[in-house]
Amino acid sequence: MSALLEVSGVSVTFDGFRAINNLSISIGEPELRAVIGPNGAGKTTFMDIVTGKTKPDEGRVLWGEASQNLLGMSESAIARAGIGRKFQKPTVFEDQTVRENLAMALRNKRGPFDVLLYKTNRHARARIAELAEEIGLSDHLPRRAGDLSHGQKQWLEIGMLLAQDPRLLLVDEPAAGMTPAEREHTTELLTRAAQTRAVVVIEHDMEFIRRLNCKVTVLHEGSVLAEGSLDHVTQNQQVIDVYLGR
Amino acid sequence: MAKTTLAPKKGFLSENPSVLRFLGLLTVFTLIVTALAEGFGAGVISTSFLKVLGMTLCLCLIAVAMDVVWGYCGILSLGHFAFFGLGGYGIGMWLMYARTEGIVRTSLANAPIPATEGEVRDAIASQIFSVVGSTELPFIWGFAHSLTLQLLLIVLVPGLLALVFGWLAFRSRVTGVYLSILTQAMTLALSLYLFQNDTGLRGNNGLSGLQNIPGLLHLPQSTIALWFFWASALALGLGYLLFAWLVSGKFGSVVRAIRDNENRVRFLGYHVESYKLVVFTATAIVSGIAGALYYPQAGIINPAEIAPITSIYLAVWVAIGGRGRLYGAVIGAATVSLLSSWFTGGGAPNIDLGFYRIVWTDWWLVLLGLGFVAVTLFFPKGIGGLFDYLVRKP
Repeated sequence: MSALLEVSGVSVTFDGFRAINNLSISIGEPELRAVIGPNGAGKTTFMDIVTGKTKPDEGRVLWGEASQNLLGMSESAIARAGIGRKFQKPTVFEDQTVRENLAMALRNKRGPFDVLLYKTNRHARARIAELAEEIGLSDHLPRRAGDLSHGQKQWLEIGMLLAQDPRLLLVDEPAAGMTPAEREHTTELLTRAAQTRAVVVIEHDMEFIRRLNCKVTVLHEGSVLAEGSLDHVTQNQQVIDVYLGR
Repeated sequence: MAKTTLAPKKGFLSENPSVLRFLGLLTVFTLIVTALAEGFGAGVISTSFLKVLGMTLCLCLIAVAMDVVWGYCGILSLGHFAFFGLGGYGIGMWLMYARTEGIVRTSLANAPIPATEGEVRDAIASQIFSVVGSTELPFIWGFAHSLTLQLLLIVLVPGLLALVFGWLAFRSRVTGVYLSILTQAMTLALSLYLFQNDTGLRGNNGLSGLQNIPGLLHLPQSTIALWFFWASALALGLGYLLFAWLVSGKFGSVVRAIRDNENRVRFLGYHVESYKLVVFTATAIVSGIAGALYYPQAGIINPAEIAPITSIYLAVWVAIGGRGRLYGAVIGAATVSLLSSWFTGGGAPNIDLGFYRIVWTDWWLVLLGLGFVAVTLFFPKGIGGLFDYLVRKP
């Protein structure tokens, strides 16, 4: 298993507050990884740095076989390189239909003129139908995304992420606001996705993490506190002190 | 549901019946006006009113462009009249030059010694620029002798200005109200610059006599006005078609997504700035073309035409007509600009309240302001939004 994403020695400071402190994480391909930690541990900031939203003060973020440096790239270029992201709050385009949302995310050329001359083809329609099936929205394709329930929006966003066909999925609190049945479906979907690609999940819900059954990284004050199986990290005294004990 | 997934491919027009309906209405309107026009027969519509109608169509065209950039892409540009004005100056330069050339050549024809090309040029220059105390032809008039080149400039100058301005602004991620202020600054700077006498476009005198088309001076204005009316209707129809196509389909989907949440669009892998630049530049070019058709009908262009307030009016038209639907922009621009010329042109009867006399030329702006506030409060979707009540989808 070679490293797909190599974050090393990254630090970032916001107004004197050190959000990320000499953080090093390596993600393989395929791999399912859970990232946990108390509020303010830098989980979301870590994703911001990888996706180009936040520029770190120091450190390196390298991607793929060619060890491409992600730090000099724009958000859109990073996304095109194969990194997809799902936000904490579901952010779908509410004014557009489920189908339009999925069509926009489908892996295709992204340039303005390519898109202008783009024609929906049989293959794209089939792929959208397949994705809709997978996220349980087959009957909702012509609906406005804004009219979906909270859980359905979460699904749609996961569907959009899958439509991008990224090599690395960064998923921020996917189970928030979901019913137990929906959570189970999400677990299944993420583990299935992780068979062929790298998936990083931020989550607070320990039960959810347990079901993912994967390697866990515990963040605290912007750096890695512990790493290993869930049982391993939950027995770590430091982890109990800063996170679980509270 | 599964059937819609594999629906057969349809044509663009059959998928967008509102476009077809609009084009139909525009055609009918053009035919009726033509039949009633002075230049054609009936003479119910005077030549001056025909010009007003033609100009209104040009204003509708720039409003459609504004709707695309603001209503669809979310860029509240308050500077699109700069592009409109540049288009007007572009055609105006050729009109003035060619007409003056005609006059000069006629008057020199009887001279005992035939005038050289240089002398003709000098005579043209002093004719055009004596009003600003100059006899030199500024270098920007270098192409003014050629209609083809000048038509090219009508597309290139607004296009390049929008491209450079947009590139600088979008690249620095200037958005929202800050971008609006920048666009106001752009049109204000251009307007102030053109007000100066030494900028080569005759300062506050502007370019005039644009209604006289060189080579067609033997034709009555009623005929010329009709031709320009047709050209304006054609331009509006083509522009509407172009933009309707642009905002339909996946490109339109991405553009509306940028309006609603541009950061999210970035994480989908779309280079947001390129999209904004394409939309901004395309709408600027169409605005320039609209201006080039407008000013020969208006007869005169001067820097006041691109004062910041004009671009704000444009936003008001689109807001009143209804953002995010192209026919809304047309309705807004047509209604407000025609009402405006009715009220300020003395068409509306003044109201005597006994203690106070409401003179509409003074009070029209107040009325417009109140109308704008009322639409914003009670019909946020504008006049066009009323159609949603008529055509309720099941």
